[in-house]
Amino acid sequence: MSSLSLVPQLLLIAWMLPLASFVFIFLTGSFLDRRGRASGFIATAAIAGSFLLSVVAAALWFGYYPLDSNHQASSHPIRPLSGDWYTLAEFGSIKLALGYYIDALTLAMYVMVSFIATLIHIYSFGYMHEELHEVNDPQVILGDGTTLRRPGRFARFFQYLSLFGFSMLGLVIANNLLMTFVFWELVGICSYFLIGFYVERSSATSAGNKAFIVNRVGDFGMVLGLAALLTSCGTLHFDHYQTTNGAHYAGLFFYAKAIQHPASELEPAEGSRSEDSQSNPETPPVTLSGPKGLTYGLLVLAGLALLCGCLGKSAQFPLHVWLPDAMEGPTPVSALIHAATMVAAGVYLVGRIYPLLTPEVLIVVAVIGTITLFMAATIALTATDIKKVLAYSTISQLGYMMLGLGTGGWVAGLFHLFTHAFFKALLFLGSGSVIHACGTNEMPQMGGLLRKMPWTAITMLIGCLAIAGAGIPLWAGFSGYHSKDAILAQVYLFHTTNRFLGWIYYLALVSAALTAFYMFRLWFLTFIGQPRNEHIFGHAHESPKSMTVPLVVLAFFAVVAGWSVPGTHWSLSALLEQARVTPLLENSQVPLFGNVVIPHEHESHEAQIHQLVSLEAFTAGILGFAIAVVFYGARWLDPAKVCQRFFGLYRFLLNKWYFDELYSRLFVRPVTWVASVAAWIDRAVIDWTVDHAAVAVRSLAHLDDWLDRILVDGAVNRLAAAIYGMGEWFRQWQTGRIRNYILWIVVGLVSLFILGSIYFGLGMHLVVGAS
Amino acid sequence: MVAGLVFLSIVVFLPAFGALVLMFFPSHAERAIRRTTLGVTLVVFLLTLRLVLPGLHAASQNPLEQVLHDVRFAAGEPGYQHAYAVPWISSFHIDYFLGVDGISLPLVLLTSFLSVLAAAASWSVTKHVKAYSILFLLLETGMLGVFLALDFFLFYVFWEVMLLPMYFLIGVWGGPRREYAAIKFFLFTLVGSVLMLIAILLLYFASDVRQLPENARRESFLSQEVMVKSLAPSEKPLHTFNLIALAKLGQMPDSPFQEPVLGGKSVAWWAFLLLLIGFLIKVPAVPVHTWLPDAHVEAPTPISMILAGILLKMGGYGIIRICYPICPQGGYELAWFVCLLGIVSMVYGALAAMAQQDFKRLVAYSSVSHMGYVVLGLGAWSLMPGLYDPQYWKMGMNGAMFQMIAHGISSAGMFFVVGVLYDRVHHRDLNQFGGIFGRMPVYTALSIVIFFAALGLPGLCGFVGEILVIFAAFSYSRALAVIGASVMVLTAGYILWTIRRVYLGAEYRGPHAEALSPLTTREFLIAATLSVAAVVFGVYPQAIFRYMAPSVNRTIDELAEWMKREANLHAASGHISHPSDLESGQTEDLLSHRDAPSQ
Repeated sequence: MSSLSLVPQLLLIAWMLPLASFVFIFLTGSFLDRRGRASGFIATAAIAGSFLLSVVAAALWFGYYPLDSNHQASSHPIRPLSGDWYTLAEFGSIKLALGYYIDALTLAMYVMVSFIATLIHIYSFGYMHEELHEVNDPQVILGDGTTLRRPGRFARFFQYLSLFGFSMLGLVIANNLLMTFVFWELVGICSYFLIGFYVERSSATSAGNKAFIVNRVGDFGMVLGLAALLTSCGTLHFDHYQTTNGAHYAGLFFYAKAIQHPASELEPAEGSRSEDSQSNPETPPVTLSGPKGLTYGLLVLAGLALLCGCLGKSAQFPLHVWLPDAMEGPTPVSALIHAATMVAAGVYLVGRIYPLLTPEVLIVVAVIGTITLFMAATIALTATDIKKVLAYSTISQLGYMMLGLGTGGWVAGLFHLFTHAFFKALLFLGSGSVIHACGTNEMPQMGGLLRKMPWTAITMLIGCLAIAGAGIPLWAGFSGYHSKDAILAQVYLFHTTNRFLGWIYYLALVSAALTAFYMFRLWFLTFIGQPRNEHIFGHAHESPKSMTVPLVVLAFFAVVAGWSVPGTHWSLSALLEQARVTPLLENSQVPLFGNVVIPHEHESHEAQIHQLVSLEAFTAGILGFAIAVVFYGARWLDPAKVCQRFFGLYRFLLNKWYFDELYSRLFVRPVTWVASVAAWIDRAVIDWTVDHAAVAVRSLAHLDDWLDRILVDGAVNRLAAAIYGMGEWFRQWQTGRIRNYILWIVVGLVSLFILGSIYFGLGMHLVVGAS
Repeated sequence: MVAGLVFLSIVVFLPAFGALVLMFFPSHAERAIRRTTLGVTLVVFLLTLRLVLPGLHAASQNPLEQVLHDVRFAAGEPGYQHAYAVPWISSFHIDYFLGVDGISLPLVLLTSFLSVLAAAASWSVTKHVKAYSILFLLLETGMLGVFLALDFFLFYVFWEVMLLPMYFLIGVWGGPRREYAAIKFFLFTLVGSVLMLIAILLLYFASDVRQLPENARRESFLSQEVMVKSLAPSEKPLHTFNLIALAKLGQMPDSPFQEPVLGGKSVAWWAFLLLLIGFLIKVPAVPVHTWLPDAHVEAPTPISMILAGILLKMGGYGIIRICYPICPQGGYELAWFVCLLGIVSMVYGALAAMAQQDFKRLVAYSSVSHMGYVVLGLGAWSLMPGLYDPQYWKMGMNGAMFQMIAHGISSAGMFFVVGVLYDRVHHRDLNQFGGIFGRMPVYTALSIVIFFAALGLPGLCGFVGEILVIFAAFSYSRALAVIGASVMVLTAGYILWTIRRVYLGAEYRGPHAEALSPLTTREFLIAATLSVAAVVFGVYPQAIFRYMAPSVNRTIDELAEWMKREANLHAASGHISHPSDLESGQTEDLLSHRDAPSQ
């Protein structure tokens, strides 16, 4: 166990090295920029260190768990290493932490990511050398008509690359879904920064925004998936975990298993043991946590919600729109983030949470993968920007991976992830080399570059052959041949058991032909024929060693990644086979538009399936290649005429199936409209009410004041005036002469007597009269 | 015991004392006045920081060391510390009663921390510096008092004390429409205060300390005088403003607050509603939020920082400290209402922010949206009858409290960076910015960190609170969680769009381009401190949780206990619906909602 216990530590250091590099360059970047390439060396050293440590860790792992042709018979049962490094927060049995979950897949991803990242760091020395001094950006015209001159940002570029390396490795090693989500967002933000690396270009910053926001739409689903699992299982850990008070709790995979075998569902009693812990006496008893709200239906919903995140990250239909725009970033970034590693994270996550996925979810994965791979392949047919062709090709290949996973081919789908990483990084770096030489992305401006840049041309040809799946049927081929055949075989098997989804297989086959066509179209347009722009051709040159060496290394792996090590049975697919997990309810019938069966992957290895599929795929590839030769290689037919002929279809493809327009109308404009309505409500309704309430109160106050003055005061004043007037009037009688007063007294008294006698006398008469 | 009270009193009144000293400064000595203000806030910050630093040697001979040791805050303790009451207005049993627990401690530290930064940011204020500084310090006293007072009357007094300086700070030092904004702020807050006052009196006259068992009276830290009175037999009820005693009264069986008063609803229900509205005005929640954008747009930068960073938190603090513990019944019955306002604020604030042209107004609306998370987290009473596992509820409350601190940092930062630009180019029109990155790279980097903290990027402080609140909301109601999660997309939309319009792009084309000078050291330090805080709390949330969680969890556990007892009573009474009791219909609704098959 001792050699294995080193593995997490090694990977921890490998993970932290790029972070250290990021922090260092972040703090000293402006200083390093004046020191030339220092930042590049630091970042490259960090990622290369990660690569070496990953290789050592992988060696330790596979030394302990060697690859046997029949791994069940190996001496130790294979158990992923898992544990927590760092606790973010803890609420009872809920633990939000950062930790590690290590199996063969993790290690393979670690090695692959750090290896390709190292090559791309080296490549960037050449590609980004302009950033070492002041840059003149001809794409940005300032207000006064001049082009932009700005200081170079060499250090900033490597700073972002380091942050990306850290985030990607964190995403790979995550032992719980929250950690996955944390690094999921962080790779997203690195992608945002790197797409918008040329911050002065409006197209670049808008592409960065688009990438992040579209990804957030996917993450919206992912958060809900996390919430669903957390509130039903009380955990987001894959495997069992330990809280600070020492109690052990079961992880998500265990709950999913319990769903699958309801009979064996354990009562939430203290100290009940999971199946895994029984098989391994070293693991302590595990307590189930959470209120056990997990139902099959909730698991389906959670799977679909998590899938949303994967669709966003891996640019699958309908969230694929950001990836082509993301090509605004520097080409090494496109190669590393938007081809080899980050966009594959969605596929990786589907592979990682495979034990949680029900057949319903897998069908959705397969269907979306198929739609994506076909749609992207058709758009790639008409694109003229060399990087956009590759971007759509990436989307299409990711669709293949999703399709492989969705039809039950866990190894097949992830195998293609690895081979694709090599040949697509190669193709992007090759295109970067071409762009570097020509200063343009437009293929119609290129042509005949084979003479000028032989290394680039030949390595790219290898890349094209690899992605097209070239090989000699039933024997061997480029890496893409092995992985794509594995996927197609699985899809074929799937289509034999689920007839109503048969179109999936045929679309995948047609798209294989399309792939061969658009890749060779790209190669022929770029490297063959007459130069179409003499000025550009005249200035073109082969790229420096720092750029061609990574190309050659990647070309080597693009060829051999599918092979097994001569004389042994060690191969990439065997290595993945060691980590293979099965989805829920594999090989059992699930009622869903008929009976769906997710076939077992081993059945697709049968010779008869393999032969058939291999030949069909080969035929499709040859067909695509032949058409490319007819139109672009030998130029027997003029593609422009065909475009003329099918102009409607051509325009439809050229406009990328009008997705951007559709989304703009469906989402962007309505949201901005609703936003302005909200702002209007604030001003015109709430504030209007408040202000008018204030006005009303003020009016009331005025009214009150008026009433006070007119009515109350008026009454009082009038009364006073009346009394005053009376006093005035009385004053004239106040003569000061006693006899006058006496006179008035006498008059008064006499009057009183008269009045009294009249009143009473009259009354008396009436009384008398009445009686 | 008394040492704690004295210490907290010093913390609260030191700024006021500073203000008193400033009165004797000649008004032209602006430099000295500013520095003194900064110095006072700094001393207060250091004093509050003392609370969270580890203890010294307990048995020290040096009395000063002994005192400093005694006044530390013990992390992990759920209860109140340094709580001590002395009679203030005896005839009404009003005490001068301060104390601190894990809920108020982070807010006290946030207050003293942001006050230092705001004082440092006040260099940009050039009008009547002396009066400004005096009011600023009085404001700090009011804010600290609100967070430390444990007597409801004292709380109310501090609440009002804070209101007046704020009114003048906006009304005198504000922008062109300052008078309108100040009046609006004042009137909105005053309405809230009046509602609160009614609720205070309702609770006061319904309360009777004698009903509490003796140990509960002791745990309430009643002042000696009241304690003695409570032991003497008498027919007259012994009313109290003691917040702890009120909470104990509110949660006890046969609580005096369950008396119906109006419309068949109990004292607890009405008091909860009145207090809630009063506090929600402060938070602010839609639809009582419109004072906020105006106040922010007109207020000078440091006052905006204080307003967004601290004042809004008083609303949330009031809800968790007063509304729920004292009136649990109202809280339970009105949980849907609180959550509804929270979710509406989140969505509405984000949408309104998206439509703004004024940079500062946009940030103000983002505050409405972010404080909506707080309200949602506080309101998501995810405990259902029959399911007494309060861990998701704890998660939500802790998330809401964390979000308050996180928002305190990110919103203060955002208002500061807006202020930095405004000081230079004297406009805030989002369509006239662009290219700031090329002119002020360091400033842009710090701004982007702060904006991403507001966006809720993992690794920065905004993420933790938001995600916990959404998780907790999911366990309360799935529909709420779906809407809440969609706000993540809107937030990303308006923040990225703002960053693009202001910082990115080729060149700045607005007015006063020549004034775009790099940050001064003072400005750099303020922005960098906030950025570092955003990173630290994002990466190490335990720094806050270790103080906060025990107290929040205690509050929840008490409420869960109350609820369990109440439901048992309810079951025992055989569904005879007493108007003030838990309504059976609602209970069953919630139950069925919880167990609804999700397929």
